[in-house]
Amino acid sequence: MKKLMVFAVLLLAFSGMLFAGGAQEESVLFEDRFMDMSWNDIVAEADGQDVFFYMWGGADHINNWVSGYLQDRLKEKYNVNLEMVPVDGAPVYVNKVLGEKQAGKNTNGAVDMMWINGENFKTMMQGQLLFGPYSDKLPNIKYCNPDILGYDFGFPINGYESPYGAAQCVMEYDTEYVKTPPASIGELFDWAKANPGKLTYAAPPDFMGSVFVRHVFYYVAGGYEKMMGPFDEAVYNKIAPKVWDLLNEVEPYLWRQGKTYPESSTKCKELLGNGEVHFNINYGPDGATNAIRNGIYPDSVKTFLFDSGTIGNINFVAIAYNSGNKAASMVMANEILDPEVQYHAASPEGMSWLTPIDLTTVPARVRADFEALPLDPSRVTTEELNTHKLPELQSDWLMRIEEDWQTFVLRQ
Amino acid sequence: MENVKQNNSRNALLFIIGLGIIIGVIVPIVPQLVWAVSHRWAFPDLLPEAMSGRAWKYIANPNSKVLSATLNSLVIAICVTVISILVGVPAGKALGMYKFKAKGAIELIILSPSIIPPLAVTMGMQVIFIRMGLSDTIFGVILVHLIPTIPYMTVSMAGVFANYDPAYEEQARSLGAGTVKTFFLITLPTIFPGIVTGAMFAFLISWGQYILTIIIGGGRVITLPLLLFSFASSGDFTLTSALSIIFLLPSIIILVITSKYLSGQSSGMGGFGNI
Amino acid sequence: MTNRARVSLLLAPSLIILCVLFFGGFLLGIMQSLNYMPMIGLDSPNFEAYKMMFTDEQFFQSLLLTLWISIVTTVLVIVLSIVSALALRNTFVGKRLVNFLYQFPITVPYVVITIGTLFLFSQSGSVARIAYNMGIISDQSMFPELVNDKFGLGIIFVYVWKQVPFIGVIVLSILQSMGNNFEELARSLGANKWQSFRHVLLPIIIPGILPASIITFAYTFGSYEVPFLLGRPYPAVLSILAYRLYDNVDLNARPEAMAMAVFMTAFLVVLVFLYKKLLNKASGRD
Repeated sequence: MKKLMVFAVLLLAFSGMLFAGGAQEESVLFEDRFMDMSWNDIVAEADGQDVFFYMWGGADHINNWVSGYLQDRLKEKYNVNLEMVPVDGAPVYVNKVLGEKQAGKNTNGAVDMMWINGENFKTMMQGQLLFGPYSDKLPNIKYCNPDILGYDFGFPINGYESPYGAAQCVMEYDTEYVKTPPASIGELFDWAKANPGKLTYAAPPDFMGSVFVRHVFYYVAGGYEKMMGPFDEAVYNKIAPKVWDLLNEVEPYLWRQGKTYPESSTKCKELLGNGEVHFNINYGPDGATNAIRNGIYPDSVKTFLFDSGTIGNINFVAIAYNSGNKAASMVMANEILDPEVQYHAASPEGMSWLTPIDLTTVPARVRADFEALPLDPSRVTTEELNTHKLPELQSDWLMRIEEDWQTFVLRQ
Repeated sequence: MENVKQNNSRNALLFIIGLGIIIGVIVPIVPQLVWAVSHRWAFPDLLPEAMSGRAWKYIANPNSKVLSATLNSLVIAICVTVISILVGVPAGKALGMYKFKAKGAIELIILSPSIIPPLAVTMGMQVIFIRMGLSDTIFGVILVHLIPTIPYMTVSMAGVFANYDPAYEEQARSLGAGTVKTFFLITLPTIFPGIVTGAMFAFLISWGQYILTIIIGGGRVITLPLLLFSFASSGDFTLTSALSIIFLLPSIIILVITSKYLSGQSSGMGGFGNI
Repeated sequence: MTNRARVSLLLAPSLIILCVLFFGGFLLGIMQSLNYMPMIGLDSPNFEAYKMMFTDEQFFQSLLLTLWISIVTTVLVIVLSIVSALALRNTFVGKRLVNFLYQFPITVPYVVITIGTLFLFSQSGSVARIAYNMGIISDQSMFPELVNDKFGLGIIFVYVWKQVPFIGVIVLSILQSMGNNFEELARSLGANKWQSFRHVLLPIIIPGILPASIITFAYTFGSYEVPFLLGRPYPAVLSILAYRLYDNVDLNARPEAMAMAVFMTAFLVVLVFLYKKLLNKASGRD
């Protein structure tokens, strides 16, 4: 009898769950009409909306900037409520949107705006998880050089994301042990052979470890040009074996004789900070500044670039296809590109970021401000970065390189 | 002579075990206390090079959301505890005081969330929670936290009810005490240790939950463990430690309150021996 | 009210919550592991996910690691909890303090002790620093890998630290409820200390802590937070592997994640079933 009762309750509760679908809104959806709206209409619609901004939350200065400066500004200027959602990585929110799509929640999703990189962008585009094309509608997009709006890690953007900040790799080194930094990967490896145990890189697919190996590819290939475009097996097969040979040749001179590699770039930073190794690669010229500020690095750490340049890219924000606050999200995407906001982001009070906007297009006064920004002693100049910037590979190259590194270097 | 020797070695052994407990419990907590106020503390220094209040400034700043996340965690844990008590006390009474058909099976059902990993079940539930509009809400998070807490509550209560003599209640009634009065004068004092123990487990299980919160709360419900995990995996030891200390505070308070109910004859832990 | 009605009423709230949420979720997990989700258009169930799981070398390595960690933890917990509880039964100076501290780990969140373990036992942690300053090691790399290591030593340490007092307190309450009579009787019959422990105390303690030990075994087997911070990316314990598949940007990996969850559940259910059987057999013989 009781078993039956329990079963009945269970059944009832279930049937209730299965049929309780989300009610669809009757009004015309924003994505169906925003193309014909003026920017002022969009700003008016954004008034009073929330923006839940999902982002990696592991850096206090970035969290502070978003939920401080940016949040206050959006509230005052547009009455838009920015809510930062700091989580421990992009897969959390990519999966979140994906899960909602699977469950049929196509409106008012949890995620409005996201901070994403090339790999995740491709996944989300393939899963049709993003709202767009919207970036052409942003008035401030005019400050961006059209070059950066074409591809993200080789995948066509088509207006489905807009720039947030810029990043470029730098090599970090400890001046207490290294007087003149090497000018190329070749010189770096020569240095390692003369100073065994003091160089390492994180095991790909770690983000930083992976970009280090890409620099070795560019070095071996004599430049990036041959590897641009979609993955090319023939080109790859000409370069890759030489790269693996080079990496295996230097391996015995790496940290722990190359028998193991640090599992994360966090660990690499700790090793440089503790003086266990004397170099580290960082996908951000300000990384060392922050590490010194937070006591992870000693003050003697400085940065440099290889003569042939380092890889740089743009990082973007994108809007979830099922966001219920698309107007406000667009307003935020636009505001991020405001030269004044970018200036604050670039300042030491902000995040010491690189700006993705083209400074030749901004008012002279703002440009002067940018140029007057103090340069932290650990940093290379923006001009040097700009003249030493190399493009990223497409993500299918990345995946193949990361996979093969495991086979031909780690397990050799 | 022999006896003295034996006593000495016995005392030495006791001393070692006692000292082991003191060191073993306290030492693992100490580095965090130091990290939380240190600026730079590189290997092999035994003490930090410089101190810093950076982490605490960050925590006190409302922008960091640490305080609101702490509040969220508290609200969720308290609600989970209260609901667990309301649901677990009657269930514990049934299991502790009555004999009935299929008791073994019912016991197994109630206990199963403490055996089967809640993660395994929650992954399957996400779709339904989204459909029902429960995902991304505090209410949804509370519901999912109930899964691992109810068994602990019920078992603690079953333990105290097993030793509970209903004859006292009848005596009180026969002496003219009403139902309410009987409950407060007789029933409650006897089962109180069980409630305290069970409530302690319920609170702590909810308070420490990360994975269930992220699956169901989806980031919209930000709790302390979510922030803690972001910093722990980014290598910012100073901030991680400061958050960890905040995370530890309720435990100390709870232990001071519940310590006397955890051991001793009237223990609420007895239930765990009779499953 | 009849007894039966009263019992049903008392049990109904918790049973409803658990049945709907827990068993409902479990059922949905099984459905998804079979690629069966009619509400999103998947209506032809199959065993692909299980096939994939059982041909995945990583799965078996994870299973092995998970079993190793859970078994070692449980054995250590049982031994240490009995030893410490027997010691705490005596009176000695500072007993109140020791008693209080003994219970402390029960209330400390797993995350806190996990981070503490990281700071204490990593190669740049406090113990390594002390060893360096005492001249025992001359380089970080000489310090053994105790966290993020192959054998899950750091993970085991955390679980043991948290669970010993939990079981220990249960042992204490068992010891307290039986008093000294049995032991004294055994001694008066000429048994020595070890004999009276082995033949009198142990047979009473072990059945009393078995159920709780199974709970701690199951917890160790299935929990996520500790190995997330103290484990290695490869091989990872089952819960990490399952969640990684679930959190994969490729939705096609989800059924395999669910299959893994179902496997973990089935494994633990069989374990409990065997325990109950064993228990019935033992009590039948008495």
